Formats: sequence, structure tokens, C-alpha cells
Amino acid sequence: MQMDGSPERNDDLDQVPLFKKWSYWYVLVIGFLLILIAFFYFLTKHFS
Amino acid sequence: MSSPDWIVLVVTLLGIIVYGLYKGRTSRDLDGYFLSNRTVPWYMVLLSIMGTQASAVTFLSAPGQAYTDGMRFVQYYFGLPLAMVVLCITFVPVFHRLKVYTAYEFLEQRFDLRTRSLTSFLFLLQRGLSTGISISAPSIILSSILGWDIIWTNIFMGGLLIIYTVTGGAKAVAYTQQLQLIIIFGGMCIAGYMVIHRLPPTVGFSEVLHIGGKAGKLNIITTGVGQKGFDWNDKYNLLSGVIGGFFLALSYFGTDQSQVGRYLTARSLSESRLGLLMNGLVKVPMQFLILLIGVLVFAFYQFNKEPVFFNQSQIDLLSKSKYKDSLVLLNKAYDAAESQRIRNLVTPEPGGGAGQQVIPATPRQTQGQVLALEKEKAGYKATVRRWLNDKEVGGDDNDTNYIFLRFVMDYLPKGLIGLLIAVIFLAAWGSIAATLNSLSSCTIVDFHKRFSKKELSDEQEYRLSQLYTLFWGIFCVAVAQLAYNLGNSLIEAVNVLGSLFYGVILGIFLVAFYRKKVGGTAVFISAVIVEIAVVVLTILSRKGIIHLSFLWFNVVGAIGVVLLSEGIQWLRSKFTEN
Repeated sequence: MQMDGSPERNDDLDQVPLFKKWSYWYVLVIGFLLILIAFFYFLTKHFS
Repeated sequence: MSSPDWIVLVVTLLGIIVYGLYKGRTSRDLDGYFLSNRTVPWYMVLLSIMGTQASAVTFLSAPGQAYTDGMRFVQYYFGLPLAMVVLCITFVPVFHRLKVYTAYEFLEQRFDLRTRSLTSFLFLLQRGLSTGISISAPSIILSSILGWDIIWTNIFMGGLLIIYTVTGGAKAVAYTQQLQLIIIFGGMCIAGYMVIHRLPPTVGFSEVLHIGGKAGKLNIITTGVGQKGFDWNDKYNLLSGVIGGFFLALSYFGTDQSQVGRYLTARSLSESRLGLLMNGLVKVPMQFLILLIGVLVFAFYQFNKEPVFFNQSQIDLLSKSKYKDSLVLLNKAYDAAESQRIRNLVTPEPGGGAGQQVIPATPRQTQGQVLALEKEKAGYKATVRRWLNDKEVGGDDNDTNYIFLRFVMDYLPKGLIGLLIAVIFLAAWGSIAATLNSLSSCTIVDFHKRFSKKELSDEQEYRLSQLYTLFWGIFCVAVAQLAYNLGNSLIEAVNVLGSLFYGVILGIFLVAFYRKKVGGTAVFISAVIVEIAVVVLTILSRKGIIHLSFLWFNVVGAIGVVLLSEGIQWLRSKFTEN
């Protein structure tokens, strides 16, 4: 990360828990959101 | 409230204060007071982030919101997980690398002192006022339902937490939030269980979902598209939730010191990221469950007499007005209609048992009767609202925030009522304590230390930070008292106030991170212009001249600052060339 505030090129300098890369965590969070939206859509349709 | 309720309430609140005082011991300098010496593990960062975001209004209003408007409010949080990812990639590494106390310190390094001061000032203004509303909102509801004096309720709601926040700073805030959230979730789970427990024996969880679904309360996903196309004035739908919610969450978690100050306490960049990403995983399901309690309460009132208006103090107001005689007649008619409606749904247990059973398949004529009685009931409720709207009465016609607490007071056992009241206090305390800590950190770091020529020792800075925390605590309680007359839709009032400033502040940070060529002057001028524009848009929207829901103001503010600052920078470079 530069002092001028530009985004860090390698954001995996710190130890990543569970996965090899932080990007896997990001995929998990976004994937879980998509699953939740799909589940909510099912609930909405099923009980309407 | 009964004696057991008072005992539970007092013991819980005193326990939190003592715990905060005990755990809040830290080094007597700014690092210890505002950042807990950067020693907090990820799970405490997570709980602290959640405890800061979830105020008392979250637990009071959300079930009522699901009861009246359905569960579509959950879509408001769909942008949050996306924002957590962007924060972890961009914002958090910067703040950690620069070892800042406040998010706004970074803006001086990137732009200039003017931009830093403007942004920090906007934060202080917006947070100071909205925290006052955060105190006022639950206080008005509690004082109304329990008959407590509003001034004392405000003082207890916003004042007692000052004891441990002033003494222990960020460390006390983090540790108490941890305990507070455990009690809050425990209390809400018990409340949810009690609603199901009090339903007729043949009505299970699945039936509750069917009842809620048939009544349109399980409208979790809505598109916002009507016959005339997409409704920009629709507050909660998939698009506004994902896009508007994303900008709001990015601004709140990335540029609001009350949140930035939480994950800066983490012992490493890794722990900060993990806390934020976990928040992205659990926030939406948590909000879903809180809203589900509202649907459970709705189902409960299908088999039990629903009050004609949930805010009893407003009924008391009507009973002293010119409508007092009409109210007596309306109450009698309403009671009769409710009794008939419930009789049509529930029959006594065969064999003379004390229990009840729900008619499994209601005969057609009874269904018609039920629908007619529902319509009649809605008519009575509308009449009460019309009376309350009468200028001579001067009442509040919105009882959404009173639904859950009224259920708690009327149907939960002794002791549990005290626990649920304590939950409301603790939710308020967790959020307010973090905010006071952040208001104090911005005041001393961004203004006092930055503009004062006098050198201060660590001990003096520590003492001064405590004094600023005390000052902001008193300020917020005073604002709460002034906001007493605000009344309607308190949850949205807080959100609308945030949306006035959040977009612009986020725009400044986005330019800082992503538009390297844009300088301080361009971003400062554009921030001032766009802020004025957002305020004008809000006024036009309030007056009904334009139709734009408040969530979109975040998008307008953020994108407005980015585009305008680019334009101003381009013009400046052209003038410089000439």
C-alpha cells in the first residue's frame, strides 16, 4: 500500500485464516449472500 | 413492571457497568483509550461492529416493521456483505498501514487539512445528532408504555453508559458489547420461543409461515417494479437494497469513525478483515431472524385479541379528547368484531378440554365472514388513526414501534419482561458507547491536537479524551431531549439523517482511493456543492416534488462527488495550462 492511499497490490501479506487467499473469503461472503437471496426468493414464492 | 422485572433489569444494567469498569483498564494514552493498544481479537471486533450497528431501535422497530410492512426490510442489508469485501480490499489495509486513530487523518495525507477537517466535522455533526435520536427513540417508547418520565428515561438510556465509556474507552466498549450481545440474542431467542409457545397447540412454525405468507408478511424479496415500471420512491426492494444498501454500508463501515474505530482496535490487519467478513456473513441472517419475530407476533394476534392501537398512551390521549364518547363505542364494536373473528378461527378442544384447536379447513362461508371482519377491523384502526391525526388531538398515528414491546408487556411472564427491557437498554448502550468513543477521538485527534499549538503529555491527552467523551455524552442526551417531539418513524429518521451526509463522505474517500489525479481543492469544492444538492434533493423529496427514496441519496452523493471533482480537476488543469 502506498502512502498516497492507492489500493494495495498484494493484500495477502497478512496471514489468511482457513483459506490460502483472502479472495476465497470474498467469494465465500458473496456466494453466501447469493444463496440467501435465492432462499429468501423461494420462501417469498412458496408462502405467498 | 413487577418486582422480579425490576430486579432483572437493575442487576443486568449494573452488571454491565461493573463489567465495563473492570475490563476497561488500559494504558493511559490515546493508543490505549481509543485503540485498546490494538490487541482485540477478530471475534470481539465482529461483536463490537455488530453491537455498534444494532441500536435499541433495531430490536424495537424491526419486529413491528415486519408486522405491518412484511419482511422486505431485510433487503436493506443486501449491500452490506459486498461492502465488507470492498472494505477489506481497499480501506482496511490503508488504515492499518498508516496506523491512524481516525479515518479522516488519511484524508489530510492524501488531500489537505481542509478536506480532513470538513469530513470530520460532517461526521461529528451527523453522528452527534443521530446519536441523540438513537437515545430518544427507545426512551419515548419505554416512557410511553411504562409511564416513565421522559427526562429520566433519556438520562438512563444515554447517561449511565457514560460511566464506563469515559473510564475505560474503547476497551470497555468492546468488552461490554460482547456481553451485551450475548444477553440481547439470548433475550430475543427466548421472546421468539415464547411467541410460538403461546400459539394454539395445533399451530406450529410451518402454519405461522403460511399465515404470514397469506397476509403478505413474507414479502422478503420484492422487485420494486409496478405497472408504471421501477418505483424509485420504493424504500425496500432488491435493487435499492443491493445498490443503495452497498453505498450506505460502504460509507458507514468505511468512513464513519464509530465503525472504523472498532476494527482499528484489532491486533492485526488479518483480525480486522476477519471481523468484517464475518459480519458480512452473519448480518443478513440475524436481521432476518429479528424480522421473523415480527411475523410470529403477527400470527399470534390472529388467535388473540389485537389492540385497536398498540400505543396505549395515544388511546389515553383520545379518551381525554372530543372523541372520548366515540372511542367508547368504537372499542365496544371492535371488541365484538375481534371476539367473533377469533371464534371463527379457534374452536374449543373436543371433550371439554381446556385447550383450543384451530379449524383445519375453514368452511367457505366462515372464510367470507373472517374476511369481512378483517375489513371491519381495518376500518376501526383507520378511524383511530384519523382521530389521532386531528390537529386538535395532536397525536402520533404510527404505532409500529410499539407492537413488539406491547406484546412483551401483555403476554410474557414476570422476569422475562425485565430481561427484554434490559435488552433494549443494552442495545442502546452498545451503539451509543462506541459512538461517544469515536466522537471523542475525532474531536481530540482531528481538531484539538491538530489545531492546538500546546504540546500535551500522554496523561494530559488521556484526561482530555475522557472529558470530550463526557461532553459528547451530555450533548447527545440533550439532543435526545430536544428530539422528543420527532415522533414518527424513528428508525427511518436516523437512516435519513445518515443518508444526508454518508454519500458525500464516501465520495471523498472514493476519490482518495481511486482517483489519484484529483487534488484537495477539487474534492473540497465538489463535496460542498454535492452536499448542498443532497440537502435540496431531500427537501424536494420530503415535499413530494420528486420521488426518490432516501437510500438513493447515498448513491447520488458518492457518485456526485467523484464526477464533479473529476470535472473541477479537469477545469483547473485547463486553466493552469492556459
